[in-house]
Amino acid sequence: MGTATVRALDGISLEVAQGEFVGLLGTSGSGKSTLLNLIAGLDRPTDGSLEIFGRDLAGMSSAELSHHRSRNVGIIFQSFNLISTMSAVENVGLSMMFAGVPKATRDARAKQLLDQLGLGPRREHRPRELSGGEQQRVAIARALANEPELLLADEPTGNLDSRTSRDIMGVLKDLNERVGKTVIMVTHDASLAQQYAHRTVTLMDGAVVGEAGA
Amino acid sequence: MTFRDTFGLALRNLNQAKLRTALTTLGVSIGIASLAGMMSLGVGLEEQLTGRFTQSGLFDAITVTRQAPRFAGRGARGRGFGPRFGGPARGQGPGSTADEPRPPLDDATIAALAALPAVREVYPNIRVPVGVTFDQADDFAMASGTPASARNEGAFQSMTAGTFFPDGAADVCMLTLDFLKGLTDKAPADVVGQTITLSYATSPVDLPGMVASGAGMVAPDVPQSTLLCRISGIVEREPGTLAGAGLSGVMVPLETAKTIDAAISEARRGGAPDGTPANTRTYSSLTVRVSGAEHTQDVEDKIKNLHFTAFSIADALQGAKRAFLILDIVLALIGSIALAVSSLGIVNTMVMSILERTREIGIMKAIGGGDGDIRRIFLVEASTIGLLGGAAGIALGWAVGRIINFGANIYIRSQGGAPGNLFSLPLWLIGGAIAFSWVVSLIAGSYPARRAARLDPIQALRHD
Repeated sequence: MGTATVRALDGISLEVAQGEFVGLLGTSGSGKSTLLNLIAGLDRPTDGSLEIFGRDLAGMSSAELSHHRSRNVGIIFQSFNLISTMSAVENVGLSMMFAGVPKATRDARAKQLLDQLGLGPRREHRPRELSGGEQQRVAIARALANEPELLLADEPTGNLDSRTSRDIMGVLKDLNERVGKTVIMVTHDASLAQQYAHRTVTLMDGAVVGEAGA
Repeated sequence: MTFRDTFGLALRNLNQAKLRTALTTLGVSIGIASLAGMMSLGVGLEEQLTGRFTQSGLFDAITVTRQAPRFAGRGARGRGFGPRFGGPARGQGPGSTADEPRPPLDDATIAALAALPAVREVYPNIRVPVGVTFDQADDFAMASGTPASARNEGAFQSMTAGTFFPDGAADVCMLTLDFLKGLTDKAPADVVGQTITLSYATSPVDLPGMVASGAGMVAPDVPQSTLLCRISGIVEREPGTLAGAGLSGVMVPLETAKTIDAAISEARRGGAPDGTPANTRTYSSLTVRVSGAEHTQDVEDKIKNLHFTAFSIADALQGAKRAFLILDIVLALIGSIALAVSSLGIVNTMVMSILERTREIGIMKAIGGGDGDIRRIFLVEASTIGLLGGAAGIALGWAVGRIINFGANIYIRSQGGAPGNLFSLPLWLIGGAIAFSWVVSLIAGSYPARRAARLDPIQALRHD
């Protein structure tokens, strides 16, 4: 540990166009998750610039970053990261709560999203009463709640079996193709990335070592 | 994020750790109870004292005495004493010297003071030592001259037995209940109307109802006079006297007291009455009654300008209020100790809560929760504990105060005192204590809240 700077990413140059589905590939420690966290505004680059929708994240205040996380991006995690004491509807509503959406609107939109994702009858259940695939669908609904342009998925199928994984990837592909969301997905599964993404970018030791597709 | 949502999340969090919330709130309530209880005791004692002052009904009374003689050596620098010690009256120039007038308190002064605006009545305070014989029992008392106007005082409105002096009667008296108890076992109602003998050392004076006598409380070679008087009433407490000041026990009409006083002072001067006219007699103090308590200060100042020393209960009350302010501060400091400890309990609870909910905070930040949102959630949690604890603490403090008051009054009654409210809980104290609890909890919660707000979301999301 200590204060020495670990260069998780060094000299990365990556452009993602609107409507693209990009897979970030790499082994653990390659820097792919750090890159995703930077795009999400959860982390700040020590140097360089990171422009999303024409704005440089590197120079944003923490309030601007939380606004960015709230409105511009929706994040989907490997471990779902739902709040265990809240029902599906409440979990989806929480992201809208931070965006200042009134409760009635929140509830209506959360129900609508959960219905669309096939969770209508399960919406009052708590995370522990839902299967992994269902939990990830709730997380996707939460990511979509504030209608962000950009969906960020960090190993979204890492905790799921292969059949459920295909379901979830299908949902993401659908959101990309039919709704027009830009998707950036981090995975270590090259075949999964190649199957669903328009383009894959491979990172190793914080640097881009290969691009494929598009 | 709206306040309503913040509040909802905070309540939800508190509700999830019910036991911890309840224990922390209990801790705060004990702190507030001790603070509010102490303050309540201070206020209660103050009300007891000012209540006694008010009951004595003499806010419209000013006691006037002669200025103390000024000695030549004191000079101008030595005159910085309060009015009680005969310092210079207000309005005197610094150039005034030792040969200032020290007017006597005589009947001419009474007339002069009575002529002041807003003065209702002026009468001399006469207390004469008398021997008291009743029903074969002997006692000694200071008989105080009571003006006829005193019949309207509160103390004489609700007498233990009997009535105030009948109009114009000279040979009547009233006794205090305590004095009567020391004299006889008879019930107050049975004593009213009976005759009591007052005796005093003097040469025989031709007075109505007075009989020369050679025996009594004083040395037998001193000529004694006795006055047979009828007991018109028994009063619980002599009005106008504060605790400790009233040893008198016997009240006689003012004119009767003047006569006895004159006789005694003539005897002291060495024998037979010399026929000194009544209007040259001087008194040790006068009581000036004003037409309303609001005039007391004004008249007091005017009397001081006439080179008298003047003192009113309002002066004493002001001093007492200052003393009570100090008492209140000391009590509040003692009471604050428990609150300080319980505020550490809030800090502890909130820090624990943050540790438990680190991952949740990370999630909230990742989906758009700002630092301010997170901080406010924790501040609202802390302040909710503070408000609940404050309200519960007031209730607890009130209940404990009632219990102590109940016990204390049993003791006070067994000691023959009048029971009262030792604890008083005025609205300002209730509101102030709850508001204080809220502020303390906000301060206690501010560190944990800031810590929660500053959590790094990536670190927090890795936390289990």
